[in-house]
Amino acid sequence: MLLQTNGVCKYFGGLKAVDQVDFSIEQGKLKSIIGPNGAGKTTFFNLVSGLYKPTHGQVTFQGKDVSHASMNERSQLGITKTYQITSIFPRLSVFENVRLSAQSRVSMFNSWRKAYSYSAMNNRTMEILEHVGLADQQGRTASELSHGEKRYLEIGIALATEPTILLLDEPTAGMSPAETVEATHLIRKLSNELKLTIILIEHDISVVMGISDEVMVLHEGKKLAEDTPEKISANETVQNVYLGKGAEPCSR
Amino acid sequence: MNAKKQTNEVAAYKPHSWQTALEFRAMWAVLALGIVLPFLVSKPLATEIMIYALFALAFNLLLGHTGMISFGHAGYLGVGSYAGAMVVFYGGVGVWVSLLAAMAGGALVAAVVGLLAVKRKGAYFAMISLAIAQMLYFLALSPFKRWTEGEDSLKLPPLSVDFPFHLNLSDQTQLYFFVFVIVALAVLAQWRLLNSPFGHALKGIRENEDRIRACGFNITRIKFLSIIYSGLFSGLAGGLLAIYLGAASVTTLFWMTSGVVVMQTVLGGTHTFMGPFIGTMVFLYLRNNISNYTDRWEMWVGAMFMALILLFPEGIWGTVMQKIGERRRPSAS
Repeated sequence: MLLQTNGVCKYFGGLKAVDQVDFSIEQGKLKSIIGPNGAGKTTFFNLVSGLYKPTHGQVTFQGKDVSHASMNERSQLGITKTYQITSIFPRLSVFENVRLSAQSRVSMFNSWRKAYSYSAMNNRTMEILEHVGLADQQGRTASELSHGEKRYLEIGIALATEPTILLLDEPTAGMSPAETVEATHLIRKLSNELKLTIILIEHDISVVMGISDEVMVLHEGKKLAEDTPEKISANETVQNVYLGKGAEPCSR
Repeated sequence: MNAKKQTNEVAAYKPHSWQTALEFRAMWAVLALGIVLPFLVSKPLATEIMIYALFALAFNLLLGHTGMISFGHAGYLGVGSYAGAMVVFYGGVGVWVSLLAAMAGGALVAAVVGLLAVKRKGAYFAMISLAIAQMLYFLALSPFKRWTEGEDSLKLPPLSVDFPFHLNLSDQTQLYFFVFVIVALAVLAQWRLLNSPFGHALKGIRENEDRIRACGFNITRIKFLSIIYSGLFSGLAGGLLAIYLGAASVTTLFWMTSGVVVMQTVLGGTHTFMGPFIGTMVFLYLRNNISNYTDRWEMWVGAMFMALILLFPEGIWGTVMQKIGERRRPSAS
């Protein structure tokens, strides 16, 4: 197992946002976490990324307990996340957005050498821009990109840190249906070509079904099911949660 | 060689933006202007412009480039000034050593501020830096009066430089060019700093602190080092100020100094490299001229500051660059 959580919990006061979740992912797999809004997906995700520290339980990465490692420490270990709300460097060029992220693996404190003089880093940046289809936009200021392009840039920034495991938080948020299809293909392609391990968060069940190796369903902070996409679609409890049949009376 | 080959294989990249190219030219233009400046305005004013411009650039390392607002830069300038003056006054050392001591003094205060406040953001960082600077002001004013001479200022003997050639710093022209060369070198060093991997990381912090942390950067250490650099260059400006004034004075440490540098920087444009330099030139030129006509110069300078900020919301140089950018956009592919 590349990454594992054992009985991980996160409480905000009395609210059990994530409650006793066991999760694991193998090297090279694409696993999705789905659930209705407020199910605890993003909180769980942030327990893995390091933004939150678990109230109880453990997060293990490559056999090491990283429960209390900070976000930048985890990033240096190879756990990198993207944001649900686009988070880029708006006034920097597209190229610089990705290059800066790649720089985190090379140099933080060199104050004399020219930043653009590291050819390996520049090459890597161009490769990533080609992977996410932004190579011809490299000179533009990031804030000028379209919404869909910004989402790709977001993925590009994450890829530049050479992650072992990539955490994608609703990468298709705000995209049109056509863009969404394109984006899901890109994610699958990245997973195949770069042998990346990906954890994908989605609330739209249809996005993940075609591309995931496995799916975990969260509901009210608890794990409801974890299985292959086919079995998840056939799972009655999951259908009830998503379609609101019986399990969740509306007038609670 | 191998690295060069690789470059050709991947699609060409052109990382330098037009802004960087323009700023680079503006930097040389302003430095070229520096050569003729003492013949356009009075030599003391020209010297003062150079020193405060360096101070404003150092201040903007934090405000414009890292995105941290400091209201305590008087502390770095003032301690730099005292450190530089004291080693001359009590140690009898030369001007070069004095400038090194000034830089060390500025950096030392910056290290203290950094240790106490680096994890604080926005107004909290500003207030802690202001509090430390004010403490230093009152320390210099009375408890340390025995060493600082308090309100009387620590007066220096006439100074000269013998290396690499003889300069008499009591001569206004020689003093100006001495200051100018050091400021020019410091400006070039800051340019280099901001275009290094470290400098780019600073911009990343300014643009999106959360994101750059998620990329794996150690924000706290980078910010700490950025405060040190800012203190170092501010200290150097303080050392030059002591040489120019022939004294280290407590007014340098007063909070007004911290306020004026904010005005100069904002006037020129915080999101630019040369903005603070240009802002300082305009500010000191206006102040100097207006104070020839009226004792109430603060009021007029204040009014003009407001008018200029309304006209140039991004600062003088910042707004010029913005307008150039807008003009370029339709034609840009």
